[in-house]
Amino acid sequence: MFSKMLIANRGEIAVRIIRACRELGIRTVAVYSSADATSLHVKLADEAICIGGPSPQESYLNIPSIISAAEISDVEAIHPGYGFLAENAHFAEICESCQITFIGPSPQTIRLMGDKIVAKDSMRKAGVPIIPGSVGVIQNKEEALKTAKRLKYPVIIKAAAGGGGRGMRVCHNDIRLVSALLTCQAEAEAAFGKPAVFIEQCVEQPRHVEFQIVADTHGHVLHLGERDCSIQRRHQKLIEESPSPSVDHKLRRKMGDMAVRAAKAAGYTNVGTVEFLVDQEHNFYFMEMNTRIQVEHPVTEMVTGLDLVKLQIELATGERLHLKQDEVRLNGWAIECRINAEDPSNGFTPSPGTVTQCHFPGGPHVRVDSHLYAGYEVPPYYDSLLAKLIVHGATRHDAIRVMQRALEECVIEPVKTTTQLHQRIFHDPTFLRGQISTNYLEQLLGTGEGAA
Amino acid sequence: MTLKEIREMIQLMEEHGLVEIELEREGMKIRLRKAGGTVPQVTMEHIPSAIPSPGAPAPLAAPVPTVKRVTINSPMVGTFYPAPAPDAASFTEVGQTVEEGQVVCIIEAMKLMNEIKSDVKGRVVEVLATNGDPVEFGQPLFALEPV
Repeated sequence: MFSKMLIANRGEIAVRIIRACRELGIRTVAVYSSADATSLHVKLADEAICIGGPSPQESYLNIPSIISAAEISDVEAIHPGYGFLAENAHFAEICESCQITFIGPSPQTIRLMGDKIVAKDSMRKAGVPIIPGSVGVIQNKEEALKTAKRLKYPVIIKAAAGGGGRGMRVCHNDIRLVSALLTCQAEAEAAFGKPAVFIEQCVEQPRHVEFQIVADTHGHVLHLGERDCSIQRRHQKLIEESPSPSVDHKLRRKMGDMAVRAAKAAGYTNVGTVEFLVDQEHNFYFMEMNTRIQVEHPVTEMVTGLDLVKLQIELATGERLHLKQDEVRLNGWAIECRINAEDPSNGFTPSPGTVTQCHFPGGPHVRVDSHLYAGYEVPPYYDSLLAKLIVHGATRHDAIRVMQRALEECVIEPVKTTTQLHQRIFHDPTFLRGQISTNYLEQLLGTGEGAA
Repeated sequence: MTLKEIREMIQLMEEHGLVEIELEREGMKIRLRKAGGTVPQVTMEHIPSAIPSPGAPAPLAAPVPTVKRVTINSPMVGTFYPAPAPDAASFTEVGQTVEEGQVVCIIEAMKLMNEIKSDVKGRVVEVLATNGDPVEFGQPLFALEPV
């Protein structure tokens, strides 16, 4: 087991990783930007090193600074968390060349799955169903129009180097397609460094169902069931649950097998997620693979009883995965709400500032993953996630009752948060019936906010 | 290092007429130096917060010196070297006046030696980092009186 690890991240996930390290007896090194000096992960770690100024470029994306910090603190491993450098193959390579273990899959796998066009192609070759779309990069508007004609409107333009719901645009006709193409290419270049885009069929009223994958370095790959993440705003997840209300045993087996096949085709090791879209007829299509721990991992932890972050660390030491696929059980139902510092009544404007009052719910079957504390000043430079509220129940109905109760107890003031929106959703009949697709939130808000 | 322990150290200094104490523990170093008056100055380096209570009071701040001071802070993470080579003379000594843009020290990061230049003109009153010590971004390296 590692004796010392650096956490190359911040906020709630850095706290999560430090907790796992504590329990495994691993000494922790936190890195932080000058804006995060009072952050909880800095207080909890055994050592803390300031690596740069407030912006992500100066700090959490600053590879030389982070590697330098790893060297002076003499760590054996780096956990990248999610976002920032978690899916940066170059960073993983540098860690390798410095003899520091990167907690995650190999740089080759990260690179393969990071290019969404190449990833889709690998899946197609492996016999994993993919969303109908363009073959390769769209070079110009003629190609775009030809592809759209072959498919059926609406279509979606996506950045090849994108992912996580960013760099996408839905188009309903030729005119829109042509104007969106140039914008998407420019945005892709600016955000991801590569202007390459491709086009996919828009699946009608899809559900976003993803499978948690675990793999060791000895060829043993299995899945830990699915999470339904259909409730999204602008392709950013807001609520996740496991199991999915629309996946029965048969579909779970079929999709699970495909997820494992996808992971094997990618040469996957460690912990990751295969995302699918499921249409109204229960056909499912590979969308992308996330080669990291995900925000919503607690949902799977609550139904399987496993600790995914500890598993990541153990697998990174080369340990064998002893769990067998038929030993994996999804017990009961778990649901997570992402509490963001955003004002839903004001176009979801970010709401940074000092949290003067902070009280989280407790009691049976309630879990809170957060870096908040009373007196903490939420900085404006990073994402708006304040806390994850996760509940468990014997049935979906029971879990919903716990969440309704827990949301009422939750106090975060005076910053504006999405708590009240969550309350509204958890009393909405459509949600209670489990009839959700990725258009759900847009329809509930009635403002076209749900999808970009 | 708790507030209580620091107070005890200050009291020890008073009782025995000590001018300076430096204490080093794993991952942490504290130096207490008595200034001209009766109130000892406190400088702490690399405080890893072992106290996980967010409601705890903020760490001690050094009392404000009477003469205006500026610091040259580290622009990167690495290892501090005051001289260009192990047996060479230091770039910067106490009492010396440095110009803006003058090289004041080396910080080694990832096997590369980076020359650190002063962003102010001033007279060096204190060297705040020690040869071979790890330094973080923003860490004060030299205290200067601007001229």
